[in-house]
Amino acid sequence: MASLDPRVQRAEPTLWELPDRPLEALEHWPTYEVFVQRTRGAHAQHVGSLHAPTPEMALVLAKEQYARRSQCVALWVVPTEAILWTSAEEEDLFQPATDKSYREPQGYLQSRQRIEQYRDRLKPATS
Amino acid sequence: MYGNLTLRPEDIENWGKKVQDEDPEKLAAFEARIERGEKIEPHDWMPYEYRRQLIRLIEQHAHSEIIGALPEGTWITRAPNFRRKLALMAKVQDEVGHAQLLYSAAETLGKSREAMINDLLSGKSKYSNVFNYPAKTWADTAIIAWLIDAGAIINQTTNSKGSYGPYGRALERICWEESFHLKYGYDSVVYLATGTAKQRSMLQDALNRWWRPIMHFFGPPDTVSVHTEKLVQWKIKLATNDEMRQQFLDMYVPKIWELGLTIPDPELRKDPETGRWVYSDPNWEEFWQVINGNGPCNAERLAVRRFAEEKGRWVRQALLQPNARYVTPLA
Amino acid sequence: MIEALESLVLSLADDELIMGHRLAEWIGLGPILEEDIAFASIAQDETGHAQAYYQLLTDLGLETPDRYAFHRPAERFRCAHLVELPNFDYDYGLALVRHFLYDAAEQVRLQALRAGSYDPLAGLAERLLREEKYHWMHATTWLRQLGRSTEEAHLRLRSAMQQLWPYAWMLFEPLPHEEEMVEAGWIPPSTQLRERWLELITPLLREVELEQPEPSAESLLPLQGARAGLRSPYFDALLSELTEVAASEPDAEW
Repeated sequence: MASLDPRVQRAEPTLWELPDRPLEALEHWPTYEVFVQRTRGAHAQHVGSLHAPTPEMALVLAKEQYARRSQCVALWVVPTEAILWTSAEEEDLFQPATDKSYREPQGYLQSRQRIEQYRDRLKPATS
Repeated sequence: MYGNLTLRPEDIENWGKKVQDEDPEKLAAFEARIERGEKIEPHDWMPYEYRRQLIRLIEQHAHSEIIGALPEGTWITRAPNFRRKLALMAKVQDEVGHAQLLYSAAETLGKSREAMINDLLSGKSKYSNVFNYPAKTWADTAIIAWLIDAGAIINQTTNSKGSYGPYGRALERICWEESFHLKYGYDSVVYLATGTAKQRSMLQDALNRWWRPIMHFFGPPDTVSVHTEKLVQWKIKLATNDEMRQQFLDMYVPKIWELGLTIPDPELRKDPETGRWVYSDPNWEEFWQVINGNGPCNAERLAVRRFAEEKGRWVRQALLQPNARYVTPLA
Repeated sequence: MIEALESLVLSLADDELIMGHRLAEWIGLGPILEEDIAFASIAQDETGHAQAYYQLLTDLGLETPDRYAFHRPAERFRCAHLVELPNFDYDYGLALVRHFLYDAAEQVRLQALRAGSYDPLAGLAERLLREEKYHWMHATTWLRQLGRSTEEAHLRLRSAMQQLWPYAWMLFEPLPHEEEMVEAGWIPPSTQLRERWLELITPLLREVELEQPEPSAESLLPLQGARAGLRSPYFDALLSELTEVAASEPDAEW
């Protein structure tokens, strides 16, 4: 059956005669990780990955794949291989073992109570 | 403590490893994590079968997007006015973009994009059957953009609640973009349905052509579907084929009827007692025929994909840097 | 006056419409997914620019953008032959070189229009230049990188340059009623725009060793008259494809 797509019809002289040559490893280039800054003043946020041959091309290609619809003021690209991460087995690294309330604002909720207690103590014992 | 994931040789060797051969302690922790509603990330320990099934699922989804760009692409150069021409370009562009996101998500599990495309082109890996049917007229693109995308959104919204982080993230963005497709498709259908007699009959013909593929879209009935208990427990499969099909019929049959169109199935009705849609057998034999390569467009779709890869080869090779090294993306 | 304005705007708009159409033929067929997406955006931008240009004429009481693009006979088109050329056998080198040469010309024209005296065009040019910035970044990054890569890539780019060069040169064929436009201060003469275009593209072409000599008079002869309505041999097929659905039910809304 001839193609209904005129674009494909124009390819048809060679379309059916192409050799079956599998893609080679890395033929689609290495990957970059893409970060988007949505508004000025905001942190850049990781939004996904992308295949590109060089950092310059990664930026050009990231612009349309990761910023064609949503708001964006700046793009970063980083070669995936430059990124290090903590492993899943180390997730408990982030779980404190002892009370760390001394470095949280919630650790300091007793001041008012202490002042009240002090005032109570200052009050003359007799009325 | 720090690491960069490249799939280890033993991972590949063990791909066929049975679930019962897994380290019971690790498996229990993994399943408990999913049970708690936590997401699995690429560098987590996971059973080989979980990795294998996810690669299969996400890869097929990615192939469906890139092949899905072709039936609608048929009408890009012939769209009837500026608004439709621009929207169709943007929609097909989105499908290519979705393939890009999904291939990346699958890559995080350790299979390279090149390997996935090779499996697509050799026929080893499948894609959604629906794209093996031709878009004969402009009205077909309207029906595809409305009803096939509606089906895809039901399927993808369901899957986006799955356990694998990168797939869920990709699907969230995909569903957000596809809500434009759905609106665009519905708008196009409404223009045809409220247009001239010729336009209405074009639309009805297109619906007649696409109804059966649409019924096939969610896959074979639950009664014949393979046992998926483990996939449900691992939150890879979140709804059965019939559940999704029923949801689709519930949402869209009334909208189709509202436009005065006839659905080409005299049996189709909602059973007031069970609340479920009843329909005639959509010819599952045809479904299996098409999956096995005998649909009207299977050969063309793969040939066009091979053509695009082959035509792009010199461009990609020219820019490949000699020191390039592949590491699994983070997506 | 209105003839001069229509002549100017149609030459700009028709170039964009047909360029967008040819670029769109690549959607789903690009050399890699990421580039497929980028090229599809550029195709949309050019098509959108065409629509915005036609709208200027609509605002003057002439036809709507859809009538201009989808319901106009071939002889009333005013595009350059460069944009009419097919994608032949889908050589991406040819696609990139055309994109580079064309978007350089577009940039030069838009900058001139922005400084010109016809406010609606100057205002539109200001807006379109925003998108043009990306097109230029895309075209130059590709050409710079591909131009300095493999021998095969260089050969392909070279043969594309040789094929397209006279066509690109003729983007600046003087327009009908040009004297009137220049006098009104809308836009500088085409020959002057061509000089600016050469200044813009020559450094990069030199860098990647793709610079071309001025085309011979013989090579330009068959390309003359595009701005006055002479179409290339490729145009009729293109137009009947572009208008196929619209023409199938001309009074319908889609």
